[in-house]
Amino acid sequence: MKKVVKLKSPINATRQFFATAGMLILSLLFVNGLLAQTETAPAATADTTAKPVAPAAEAPELISPSLKFTGVQKGDNTIDFRATLKAKVKGGFIKLPFLKVKFIAVNGTDETELGFAITNGEGKALFNFKPDTLKPDTEGKFHFKAVFAGNKALEAAEEEVSFKRARLEIIPVKEDSILTVKLRLIDVGTGTEVPVKEVTLGVYIKRSFNPLKLGEAATDESGEMSVEIPNNLPGDAKGNITLSGRLDENEIYGNLEASVVQQWGTPVSDKITELPRELWSPHPPLWMLVTFIILMGTVWGHYVVIVVQLFRLRKEEPHGTVTA
Amino acid sequence: MELTTYQQEALDRQKSTIEKFGNKTWLWTIFFLIWIMIGGYALYLQISKGHIVTGMRDNVVWGLFIVNFIFFIGISYAGAIIAGLLHLFKVPWGKPIIRLAQLMTIISVVVGPIFILLCVGRFDRLYFLFIHPRLQSPLTWDVLAILTYFVGSVLFLYMALIRDFAVYRDAKLDIPGWKQKLYKILAIGYRGAASQKRHLLISQNLLAMIMIPLSIIVSSILSWIFGMTLRPGWHSTIFGPYFVLGALYSGCGVLIVAMWVYRKMYKLETYFTDKHFKNLGYAMLVLAAGYGYFTFSEYFTDWFGSAKWDSEVIHKLFSVHDYGWWSLFTNLFGILIPIMIVAIPATRKTNLITIAAFVMVIALWVKRYLIIIPTLETPALPMQDTRMEYVKYSATWPEWALTIAGIATFFLFFTLMSKFVTVVPVSGLEDTNQHHASQTETASAINEQVQPA
Repeated sequence: MKKVVKLKSPINATRQFFATAGMLILSLLFVNGLLAQTETAPAATADTTAKPVAPAAEAPELISPSLKFTGVQKGDNTIDFRATLKAKVKGGFIKLPFLKVKFIAVNGTDETELGFAITNGEGKALFNFKPDTLKPDTEGKFHFKAVFAGNKALEAAEEEVSFKRARLEIIPVKEDSILTVKLRLIDVGTGTEVPVKEVTLGVYIKRSFNPLKLGEAATDESGEMSVEIPNNLPGDAKGNITLSGRLDENEIYGNLEASVVQQWGTPVSDKITELPRELWSPHPPLWMLVTFIILMGTVWGHYVVIVVQLFRLRKEEPHGTVTA
Repeated sequence: MELTTYQQEALDRQKSTIEKFGNKTWLWTIFFLIWIMIGGYALYLQISKGHIVTGMRDNVVWGLFIVNFIFFIGISYAGAIIAGLLHLFKVPWGKPIIRLAQLMTIISVVVGPIFILLCVGRFDRLYFLFIHPRLQSPLTWDVLAILTYFVGSVLFLYMALIRDFAVYRDAKLDIPGWKQKLYKILAIGYRGAASQKRHLLISQNLLAMIMIPLSIIVSSILSWIFGMTLRPGWHSTIFGPYFVLGALYSGCGVLIVAMWVYRKMYKLETYFTDKHFKNLGYAMLVLAAGYGYFTFSEYFTDWFGSAKWDSEVIHKLFSVHDYGWWSLFTNLFGILIPIMIVAIPATRKTNLITIAAFVMVIALWVKRYLIIIPTLETPALPMQDTRMEYVKYSATWPEWALTIAGIATFFLFFTLMSKFVTVVPVSGLEDTNQHHASQTETASAINEQVQPA
């Protein structure tokens, strides 16, 4: 005999449907909950041996930021102060933007505020300063301090740097077809100019991102060193290249930098030429655009005509034969 | 509106399907909803835990979801092309099946793109496709094309339904007030006047003319997502027509199965006759032969060319240790057996044609799997991560659950739509037997006139 499943009415069937659906959802949630509990169970067991946790602190714990501070003596007799603020949160460092960092000159117990800078999106603050009015200490050294005053979430932080006043000169030399960059390092901390010997200096060229090192050498008795550079380095549209000399993290003089622009490079046009067909081409080819517009216009045009016809149909009164 | 006797009979025979929801329908609806809810839970897991719950990894970035997307979208294109052709060429026997073809079109184009949404990792960035479209990307073409096609399909179905809505409105059916009102609104004042008929027919013809090329273009665009990629097994000039043919072929199979189901369920033997099965069977035969030709051509050129990575894919497709058995299944049940069943008169029976169509549809789903997965498992650059799950794709239960949920949604929409409109259109329906008889009479009369005394 054929077995027929009968429900009393659609209302009953609806009830049964919602009851079944509800049960199913509850079961799924229950299973999911169980799975979640199983995953966290070992951690919960481990916690039983832990010391009782103190009641919630009244004030939130402040984050201790890290402040990195460097001073770079530039070839134009100025000093660049560079400060970076970041903080360790959940095991990883995050950059701290939009925070004020003050720069202070220290001489014995005297402190002179030179100015401040706001950190950018990378958490970096840059401040340029001309130290003509500052007096060095008896050793001919300058002492500077970067200070972050702290806020509701972050603790205050400060960092100091000291370096002796020096000057780095960059001299481009072209003899026949040989290009040489000569660097001269002079100590000016004591008022008289003294060449600095046996210090390694590097020669760099400015590139799109970081500078590219072309060579390095130690200074001689006259505080000079030189590096021969290639004559086919890509430059800008006019062939200009920016060459720089650097002394990095020296114990006495800190960081020094000097740069010069020379027309020694191979001209490379910075004008964006029409790219061939690439995935990153900014525009589709013209023919594609035209085809697309024609195709879409044709189809959507038809749709519009049809919808208009439908509206006309609605307004029409029946005349003549009325059949399906 | 007045109906002919034949139309009135069609309405009387089917009106109970839209008047009552029925216990069986409730049970089916609940059954489908349960599967959809299980799919919902799988989706919840996928969103909360990420795509790591799927089998997709660095190399195989398209899995079951894209297979389903292509499968459903293909069915939809087939529905539009079949319905468009039957309408335009005024095929008398085709009228009862146009509605099914149109329902197939619209339901598939709703279900298919859902799988794209399941495949993308960042739902929240989906609108970037519209605010930062790159016209030079085949993906953008596909989004715009499917959107355009969807609008066309809705219009196409709606226009075909207007006359029936008017019939339902005037038929004094035993239905709730809201449904009566809805029919009235949707009938947009159609009374069957000659001018109204003319306007409607012009619009329908216009749209049918647009829908056929549109379906072919949109189907080709879908294939170009693969064909324009420099990957082994995909980078092929025949992918456009191959996809169009594959879509038509699988859609034809789904239509046969749908006809068989509704014929049994609603006792529509008068309208879905053996002739319909035979005619669609012939169409299936021609399409199977075409599809077989394309498949052979595709494999043969790749094999003969012996390019390194193409050979690798071909080797995987025909190796019993890889996808050999699946390839055999798709070619045997997807091409050869349907041809044989329709070609041999003894097996050219309604039930056998339906079984062949059903198995063929499954085989063509597997074929889509074979188009996508082996190629992605054969990258031109060495794999960085050589863990087995990265090298070999294996679908996980959330992917299967969502696949079944998609199929359940397809069936659910079909079930609900068949409770809202009659599966066989009432208006415009003609008695094809009578039509045939009158044609025969006319032919005889002409013959008598031209014969010498």
